[in-house]
Amino acid sequence: MIAIKGVSKNWRDFSLKNIDLEVRKGEYFVILGPTAAGKTLLLELMAGFYKPDHGEIWVNDKNVTRMPPEKMGIGFVYQDYSLFPHLTVKENIEFGLKLKKMPKEDVEKKLKEVMKMLDISHLSHRYPRTLSGGEQQRVAIARGIVIEPSIMLLDEPLSALDARTQIRLREELRRVHRGAKLTTIHVTHDQTEAMALADRIGVMMDGEIVQTGTPEEVFHSPIDKVVAEFVGVENIIEGIVESSEEGVTTIRINDHIIEAISSAEAGSRVRICLRPESVTIAPSKTTSSARNTFSGAITQLVPLGATYRVEIDCGFPLVALITKTSVEDLGLRVGKKVCASFKASSVHVF
Amino acid sequence: MIEKIKREGMLVAFTLLGFLIIAFIVVTLGNMLATQVVQDLGGLIKAAQDPVVLDSIWLSMYTAFLATLVAFIFGVPLAYILARKEFLGKSLIESIVDVPVVVPHTAAGIALYTVFMHHGGLIGAPLSSLNIVCEDAVLGIVFAMLFVSAPFLINSARDGFKSVDPRLENVARSLGASQWHTFCKISFPLAFRHILTGSILSWARAISEFGAVIFLVSWPRIAPLLMYERFESYGLSTSRPIAVLLIFICLTIFIFLRLASMRWQRHDSD
Amino acid sequence: MFCLLGTVLAGCIGVGTPQKVELKVFHAGSLAVPFGGQGNVTMEKAFEEKYPNVDVRLESAGSVATIRKVTDVGKTADVVAVADYSLIPKLMYPEYADWHVMFAKNKMVLAYTNQSRHANEINQDNWYEILRQPDVKFGFSNPNTDPCGYRSQMVCQLVELHYNDSKIFDDLIANNTAITGRLENDTYIITVPDDISPSQRVSVRDKSVTLVTGLEAGGLDYAFEYQSVAKQHGLMFVELPSQIDLSSVDYADTYKKVQVVRASGEAATGSPIVYGMTVPKNADHPELGLKFVEFVISSEGQDIMESYGQPPIVPAVGG
Repeated sequence: MIAIKGVSKNWRDFSLKNIDLEVRKGEYFVILGPTAAGKTLLLELMAGFYKPDHGEIWVNDKNVTRMPPEKMGIGFVYQDYSLFPHLTVKENIEFGLKLKKMPKEDVEKKLKEVMKMLDISHLSHRYPRTLSGGEQQRVAIARGIVIEPSIMLLDEPLSALDARTQIRLREELRRVHRGAKLTTIHVTHDQTEAMALADRIGVMMDGEIVQTGTPEEVFHSPIDKVVAEFVGVENIIEGIVESSEEGVTTIRINDHIIEAISSAEAGSRVRICLRPESVTIAPSKTTSSARNTFSGAITQLVPLGATYRVEIDCGFPLVALITKTSVEDLGLRVGKKVCASFKASSVHVF
Repeated sequence: MIEKIKREGMLVAFTLLGFLIIAFIVVTLGNMLATQVVQDLGGLIKAAQDPVVLDSIWLSMYTAFLATLVAFIFGVPLAYILARKEFLGKSLIESIVDVPVVVPHTAAGIALYTVFMHHGGLIGAPLSSLNIVCEDAVLGIVFAMLFVSAPFLINSARDGFKSVDPRLENVARSLGASQWHTFCKISFPLAFRHILTGSILSWARAISEFGAVIFLVSWPRIAPLLMYERFESYGLSTSRPIAVLLIFICLTIFIFLRLASMRWQRHDSD
Repeated sequence: MFCLLGTVLAGCIGVGTPQKVELKVFHAGSLAVPFGGQGNVTMEKAFEEKYPNVDVRLESAGSVATIRKVTDVGKTADVVAVADYSLIPKLMYPEYADWHVMFAKNKMVLAYTNQSRHANEINQDNWYEILRQPDVKFGFSNPNTDPCGYRSQMVCQLVELHYNDSKIFDDLIANNTAITGRLENDTYIITVPDDISPSQRVSVRDKSVTLVTGLEAGGLDYAFEYQSVAKQHGLMFVELPSQIDLSSVDYADTYKKVQVVRASGEAATGSPIVYGMTVPKNADHPELGLKFVEFVISSEGQDIMESYGQPPIVPAVGG
């Protein structure tokens, strides 16, 4: 458990203002915010690298505000992985273990375990600069968790990776977290990432935590317009997987069936997430490659400058983002019946 | 061909200019070495067998080594602070470090003499009451060399520490390493190539120093002073072999250390 | 940028400036002040005034080094002026010169400052007693490289004869350095090894002018200097008896009793300090060099020498 109590800090171009935050034991907490919001600085304060100007930090009911970082037992992974370039993968991972004055056999055993868990055993004698981004990130995570920290801090751990590696490592992070029941705080600017991983989300803007809550709370009811704009007004819908064949999953939502690309197992409860700009609107049913087509009445039309936010009731609420010209061409208005469709590949399933 | 020169005009010009400056250095030294070897190899061999010459070259090398060692012990910590911390008066401190490079060496020599002379010197007098003598003594050579050569080590080490990402230190701390341990295992090894280069430069600078040393110490004689004395009392034919011998020995060591530092580069962050 | 570079280079080579003839004068360090010092009247200024198209370029070094620059390094000079005229025939004849002129005198003094230990007690009669004091540090320039240095050795030997105290040389020189003295056929032969190994009581520096720094800084109490140097640097000095200060032709026979053998094997016999000048055979502007020599020994030149404490030889003596 970590609690941040009224922490403020001015450092270089960043400032944190009166931050209050509590992360529960075993929780996967995501701090979501745009770049330069001060997220990394907040994480570095939690790790004890810098000391707050005001306020206190408590870990497991102990005030650790003035504690040096090496006494805190907190694991840290930076965005650029920060592997020690002059040490091999093995030496990187055992760096913290060696400091624990553990018997040599135990060190070897733990090393083996963690390297197997993250599938990096074959890299053991390589130097970091010879590894791919994804491999480096696995090593960084292994190095952090092998010392069995009470809390793991991840600073944009996936943002420097290509999309495919991102998705694989995301699943890995989830697995590691579940396996070790490790309290994890993960900083990101990516809403999908937050959605995929978070038990709870803290939204950070301009050095302040402006909203805390479950992903549904944050994405469904952003506290204000700034947050709403940032989180992108996602469609988040709960459902049950009916079947899953060759990567195509059918998900039942009330009486409707949505098709998505995912590997979720049949019968499991999932959240699906759909960006509003992925939803297209037509006056009537058309033939298109979109697998998912639903008809419904427009319940709300909100002008957002060049676009409109269109809410449709298709038996479940669906939000679309439509350009102003399209709204005019199609003569959209509240109450009008339309056909909304989206591709199976734009649906994220968690 | 002409097409290529037109296309790569700038690079051709730069190559030419670069070649000229390299040629300037190589021709100057090469001419002296070659003249000595071709015209008077006997003189060179004689110098290489003269115990006075060998003693003074050895003296120069090991006092320069001591000066570099002292610069290392006191300069590396300073370099780390300068690389990592922002504080009031930092640019003043950085300028002070650079001062010995800009001060004319004769002026440095007079200043050193005034401070380290054993009659009434600000530091020399108290030291001499402890029976520690700087004037006309090995210690004085070391101090004079330290003065002119320390900036090279400090500046190079500072650049080295600056090139080490502070995040690496943060991570090491989070893994349980103390500040000392982090410095020894992470910051220092990663800055080591810069520090080594700085040490080599500092050592080379110390060996070549003449002006700053001779006011305080003209005995025992460092190699440049012996060279000068031999020139004055016997002429060029006696002093040049010493110069050639010194250059030869220094170049050998210099090249060896350079190769060593290049090997180190493999593990460097950049 | 290249235009700028071009301009600078042109400036170095001298393109575009009115052509002046460069007259190169290599001279002994002890002539630096009368030849080209800070004073209002120097040889350089007076000569350039007289010959406006001439730019006098002075280069100062020890007397031996001054000659070696011409004979060994291969530099060309239009005038060579040294603190011991005998060096010219010894080192330059016959290849680089075949005449010289003796143009000025000097004398050895013991220079000090008011901070020197025992400065208030010292005089012409007790100076060697004061140098014997263990708390006193004194200096002389390197006899191997500077005539002032070997002349200091002569003074320390001659003083034994003058005061009839046979321990002075041992106490001051032999016991503090590797320099030794011995009597051979009525001549005192002082041998200076290559490695002088001075003790902490004495300071040996390459040039006598370097010792002035020591005196002014207070690290050195006394130094053997030329009177001219002492005067030019505003130092206090003990005038030594004419029998030992190497100034007077009258005592030439006395001075002759001392000989200094330097590490190179070259021997210098005690003689009055006489400055010598010549125009090297390979000078770029021999006529102009000769004009400069003539100017130095003219009455105008002699006045300049006199004003800086270097009495001229009137009339100058050729050799």
